[in-house]
Amino acid sequence: MSEMLFTAAIARTIAEEMRRDPSVFVMGEDVGVIGGIYGASKGLLEEFGRERIRQTPISEAGFVGAGLGAACTGMRPIVELMYMDFTFVAMDQILNQVAKTRYVFGGKAKIPLVIRGQQGVGGGNAATHSQSVESLFLNIPGLKIAVPSTAADAVGLLRTAIRDDNPVLFFEHKKLYKGGKWEVPDDPEYMIPFGKADIKRQGTDVTVVATQFYVGEALKAAEELAKEGISVEVVDPRTLYPLDIDTICESVKKTGHLVTVHEACAVGGWGSEIESQVMDRVFRYMDAAPIRVGAKQCPLPFNPNLEKAVVPQIPDIVAACKRVLSK
Amino acid sequence: MAKKVIMPKQGLQMTEGTIMQWLVAEGGTVEKGQPLFEMETDKLTITMDAEASGTLLKIVRPVGDTVPITELIAVIGEPGEDISALLGDAAPAAAAPAESAPAAPAEAPAAAPVAERAPGERIFISPRARMIAEEKGIDYSKIVGTGNDGSIIERDILAYEASQPAVTPLAANVAKANGIDLAGIAGSGANGKITTADLPVSAPAAAEAPAAPAAAETPAQMGRGTRTERMSGMRRAISNNMLASKNTNAQTNHRMSVDMTAAIALRSQYKALGIKVSYNDIIVRACAKALQDMPIINASVDGNNIVYHDYVNVGTAVSVPGGLIVPVIRDADIIGLSGIAAKSTELIEKARDGKLTDSDYHGGTFTVSSLGMFDLDDFVAIINPPESAILAVGKIAKTPVVVTNEDGEDEIAIKSMCNLCLSYDHRIIDGAEAAKFLQKLKNYLQNPVLLI
Repeated sequence: MSEMLFTAAIARTIAEEMRRDPSVFVMGEDVGVIGGIYGASKGLLEEFGRERIRQTPISEAGFVGAGLGAACTGMRPIVELMYMDFTFVAMDQILNQVAKTRYVFGGKAKIPLVIRGQQGVGGGNAATHSQSVESLFLNIPGLKIAVPSTAADAVGLLRTAIRDDNPVLFFEHKKLYKGGKWEVPDDPEYMIPFGKADIKRQGTDVTVVATQFYVGEALKAAEELAKEGISVEVVDPRTLYPLDIDTICESVKKTGHLVTVHEACAVGGWGSEIESQVMDRVFRYMDAAPIRVGAKQCPLPFNPNLEKAVVPQIPDIVAACKRVLSK
Repeated sequence: MAKKVIMPKQGLQMTEGTIMQWLVAEGGTVEKGQPLFEMETDKLTITMDAEASGTLLKIVRPVGDTVPITELIAVIGEPGEDISALLGDAAPAAAAPAESAPAAPAEAPAAAPVAERAPGERIFISPRARMIAEEKGIDYSKIVGTGNDGSIIERDILAYEASQPAVTPLAANVAKANGIDLAGIAGSGANGKITTADLPVSAPAAAEAPAAPAAAETPAQMGRGTRTERMSGMRRAISNNMLASKNTNAQTNHRMSVDMTAAIALRSQYKALGIKVSYNDIIVRACAKALQDMPIINASVDGNNIVYHDYVNVGTAVSVPGGLIVPVIRDADIIGLSGIAAKSTELIEKARDGKLTDSDYHGGTFTVSSLGMFDLDDFVAIINPPESAILAVGKIAKTPVVVTNEDGEDEIAIKSMCNLCLSYDHRIIDGAEAAKFLQKLKNYLQNPVLLI
């Protein structure tokens, strides 16, 4: 185990994979000299040179498409988007090309493409640079979606993503970048399979499903609720597609209560999808209707205090758990 | 850091377990995952593995103790470690009541608030609360709901249950039969349970305390006497279940003889392909199809309601040491013959190894019991409540039967025949319906292409 920043763990994993496999390369804005504006490709240019660390103009549609083309021809590109909000600039490439190429060519083309970057609030970056957009991609067949909540999970999932022959959208969170140093496993083969949830805290009264930054917030809420004698189980699915619904359902069978928490808007977010799947499967074990905790249906404000008012806070999670328990 | 070993909860309904054997002596070392003790619940006997490694510092509850779930039964830690803090938790239970008041009747619990509902008024109850109430046989129509919207939720059922006087199953039956209200009666049994001795009727009390005293008075014959053995949890569960079935169901039965020649050929075809399919699997499959055709056979009675199940879960009676258990093949109507075969192999193995979990033997809607391997021609089975029918399957035997040949002449042919007997609950299943079910079953078994 080593201690390092979240971004350093990402950069180290990319470097390890590039050493192992010459077909892995990085492409994106400012990924060279600066090492990515958040430092997630720091040091890569020095070791691998401009041929494999390719700096692009501000042209997301172009370089996501170029990544797809490279993937078709046998490379394993890692495309960094400076903000995952910019997926929308490249939406036709992602939705109509990346997600569908393997299918429309009858499986003849593999697409081992990773599109990664950070998202979320915490930077005072306002409405177009602070969104959590992972839910939107859940509605597109053909994409895998990873949403790590710790640097160790990010390392294990990123390696799996790079070695996967299908396109993966890899969402990191701004606030985790700023979360200080993390324990990270040093094994260069450390991998976490997709579709395998992690129970971050065991409990018996209510199941809280959260991802990314909100796993930590849910754990803090659980700590507070424990003082009141409420035992919270925190389940982190780690990937939204594929989704480990079995682990979530087993937890709900035990607790009878479900709360989902994410930073994306509550309306139409992945929390609704999970709640629907849980009710499909284990409705008879439920003691109350599940509750979604998510952002209000509102663009994200620039003002940090207003930003806090829009996205969920720990007291919101605590309140939701109590409400679902009729307490 | 010393770790507690607690009485684990194995299955939704388990409230207490009896320690049958400690597999590691006090002071011995244990590895995480190593078998630590055997326990018995009303459903099964099971070996529990250690959840931590170290030295078994203290066995708090000895063999024979019946312990409520989550209570401390032992401590694992490092030799010499101070575990008095952990043991402190168990102290009140161990120290206080033992000597002072032998069999002092427990106080009757306070009455629960009763909901005032108009007749026919809709009762709002969460799915989980309903499931638990049904499993525990609790009538929730008078329970007050404390959910956000006034619904009855899990805690209301549990609180209601806790407020009811604890009572042995026999005493409950006797009280019901004699119209005795249990409220206000103080219990003198273990943990303050009401036993038949506490009831204001005398006769059944003898049944509660069986042969033992009488046997003592009988002079031994040539040194041979009688032996009294306490029923195991499983035996008690079977005993209660069978009696309840006979007491509540209007059981009768129909029989039919079925030509299994084509089914045997089907099994051989599977065998040639290397797929193991038993006759029982084929019969389960045929039952699943016939149950789909006739939902009333797959239904249950709940008070004045008939509960129809969309799903078909077929139990298969498996004999195990000390009794029998009925593991359930879920969704038998949709998983196909090879799915049934794979599942039944898995369940039978688990049953024999004592590894069935709660969910493996709950939720059946119909049962098949086969005793052909004991050379039985036919037999009558007792319905497994809350199911409404059970099929008893005899041996498959080559039998001379009269058939009509292509020229329209009768002749005697050798066929592999099997006798089926359907016991059914005549309260909801009419004789003609039961007959139709057997007819459909016969059609599927004689034309097994319909099973594929």
